[in-house]
Amino acid sequence: MMTAVFSMNLAVSADEHYDVYNYDRWSEAIPSQAGYLAERSVSGEDLGIGDFAEPSDIFRDAHDQLLIVDTKNNRIVITDSKLETVVGVLDEFTYEDGSTTTLKEPEGIYVSPETDTIYIADYNNSRVLVCDYEGNVSLEITKPQSELFAQELTFLPQRVIADKAGNIYVVLGNITTGAAMFTSDGEFQGYYGANTVEQTSTVIANYFWKMISTDEMRSKASRTVPSGITSFDLDDEGFIYTCTQSTSQKTDTIKKLNPAGKNLFTGLETTWGDIESVYDTNTNKNYQSMICDIEIADDGNINCLDLTSGRIFQYDKEGNLLFVFGSSSDQLGGFTEVAAIESIGDEIMVVDTRKNTITVFVETDFGDIVHRATNLYNDGYYEEALEPWYEVLQYDGNYRRAFLGISAALLIEGDYEGSMKYAKLADSPYRYNRAFEGWRTEFLSDNLNTIVIIVVVVVLVVGVLVFLWKRHKKNVAYAATVGKEE
Amino acid sequence: MMDLTDRQWVKHAITHPFEGFEDMRWKKAGSIKYSIIIILLWFVASIFYNRLYGFQFYVEADKMFNIIPYIVQTIVLFLTWVVGNWAVCTLLDGEGTMRNIFIYSAYALIPYVASIYIEVFLSHILIRDEYIFIEAISYLGLGWSVVLVFSAIKSVHQYTFTKTIFAILLTIAAMLIILFLLVLLLSLFQQVYVFAYSIYTELAYRLKV
Repeated sequence: MMTAVFSMNLAVSADEHYDVYNYDRWSEAIPSQAGYLAERSVSGEDLGIGDFAEPSDIFRDAHDQLLIVDTKNNRIVITDSKLETVVGVLDEFTYEDGSTTTLKEPEGIYVSPETDTIYIADYNNSRVLVCDYEGNVSLEITKPQSELFAQELTFLPQRVIADKAGNIYVVLGNITTGAAMFTSDGEFQGYYGANTVEQTSTVIANYFWKMISTDEMRSKASRTVPSGITSFDLDDEGFIYTCTQSTSQKTDTIKKLNPAGKNLFTGLETTWGDIESVYDTNTNKNYQSMICDIEIADDGNINCLDLTSGRIFQYDKEGNLLFVFGSSSDQLGGFTEVAAIESIGDEIMVVDTRKNTITVFVETDFGDIVHRATNLYNDGYYEEALEPWYEVLQYDGNYRRAFLGISAALLIEGDYEGSMKYAKLADSPYRYNRAFEGWRTEFLSDNLNTIVIIVVVVVLVVGVLVFLWKRHKKNVAYAATVGKEE
Repeated sequence: MMDLTDRQWVKHAITHPFEGFEDMRWKKAGSIKYSIIIILLWFVASIFYNRLYGFQFYVEADKMFNIIPYIVQTIVLFLTWVVGNWAVCTLLDGEGTMRNIFIYSAYALIPYVASIYIEVFLSHILIRDEYIFIEAISYLGLGWSVVLVFSAIKSVHQYTFTKTIFAILLTIAAMLIILFLLVLLLSLFQQVYVFAYSIYTELAYRLKV
């Protein structure tokens, strides 16, 4: 049965028009198996509601319905989880007093799973609209009349989310100090989760010049500001994940924020997106990954959408790269300009704002096994993850995390030699050290008698030999002196 | 008195940091053969250190093995030291011949070379928590060798304490200059080679046409 599954998967893999890869221990791209395959792409015409016009966001609500922000058509399209039938279209909203309003290029959407309230970032109307599924507006957030908010700036909401307490977070296109935070009543609270300035040589040089320049010079000098966050998502535990799409900034591109706004991913060594930047000879530029949307799947995996290459990078919740898929092309599974990403179960939907389509990726057998193994491993069920990891290796013998997982599981089972072997295959001195410690302890306690006997015998033999040798030399010396005297 | 074999002289020199080399000089002892063996052992040790170290301690990005850096870091480095020291100390009224500098310096390296072998051996039976033992051995071997090198240079040239330090510092500077000139020479020869080769290809092409 295994072989049947394997060959089937290979046949499907061959359909991919791009190279599927993963990164090895030395951060070099190596071929790998596909974790997701593009199954179909859905346009508005397929749904029978007319083509989408530059859709920019997609969101899955608590009832597994998909809400698509159809930006240039000024509407929200609600479909079923399979993206096959349209459940409803939201384009007119009623206030409590009966008057109606429409959207103007909305860009972001969020639905609270607890209250079924829809939050819409209505970009060109400079407001955030809070309503229910029938379009009854319960709250409208416009530019805050607060001294914390620079009044000369326009209020341009692009993305919106709301946490369990009802606090509303809004990403604004022209603000770099983080997401604007509002209470559930729409009262402005301040900013949340600002990026920090990356300490590049330019920044340090500017700091030096500012120290020695006059006030007048200082006022004319350009300020160093971090890139503002681009998009965010909530996980089940209430942590907010932000991504920052930037050509220059390498730090803070993906952040996991706790309620205090502290980044929990600072200790990770993960390079989000492609590790090596791609040099383009036409424009004489290096293109590095720009993560334009982030999505947390049900099992905690982090899906990052790369605008530069049209690739989706999937990480587990510890920041380990699982899969890379998607490309920049015209075929199925390729994109012109990606905008948003969402997942339902084993499917991932990606919105292309130029092609006006939504592409559906489906998890492969390989992807399923890797997910099973990773989730078990991350939850601490090392031994239960052992079988799935072995299966992963049958698909892809280069999958480093499988070797690590097997090494950890075998260590717990007490198979130290096996653990050492797999730690070596995974190139992990740390894991090898732990397995070796166990192996050494076991070896010493098993063979203590033998070792003691060997040591005693060796010491005795050497001692006797030395004694004999010394006596022999003494005799020779004595014979020589005796000979001389005679 | 002090009628020792070559092997006994090696032992005497490294176990008597202050008198050993003086005695050797007095008796005109020391063997080129043993010195060469020591340097070769150093070269082998440096490869062992990088290739056969216990896996639990560190892992090299070993996609490719190149032996040239190992040769440069041991044999070439030692020869540069000898030549540099000879060049400097000839000008500073040193009494050592190049042969003696070679022998004494090589003898002085024994504790360091031995410590590398011991480290590599220990790295296979210790775990990360016990790294302190390996570190101790490494410092001990290095420190001992530094003392011996100092003593060797002092004895071989019959210098005072301060003059020895001065000479060693100048030797290091001389080594840098020698290495710099070597690199310069190499790149020059490479250019000459490229020039000659391009003339050859030009001629070959014209003859063919």
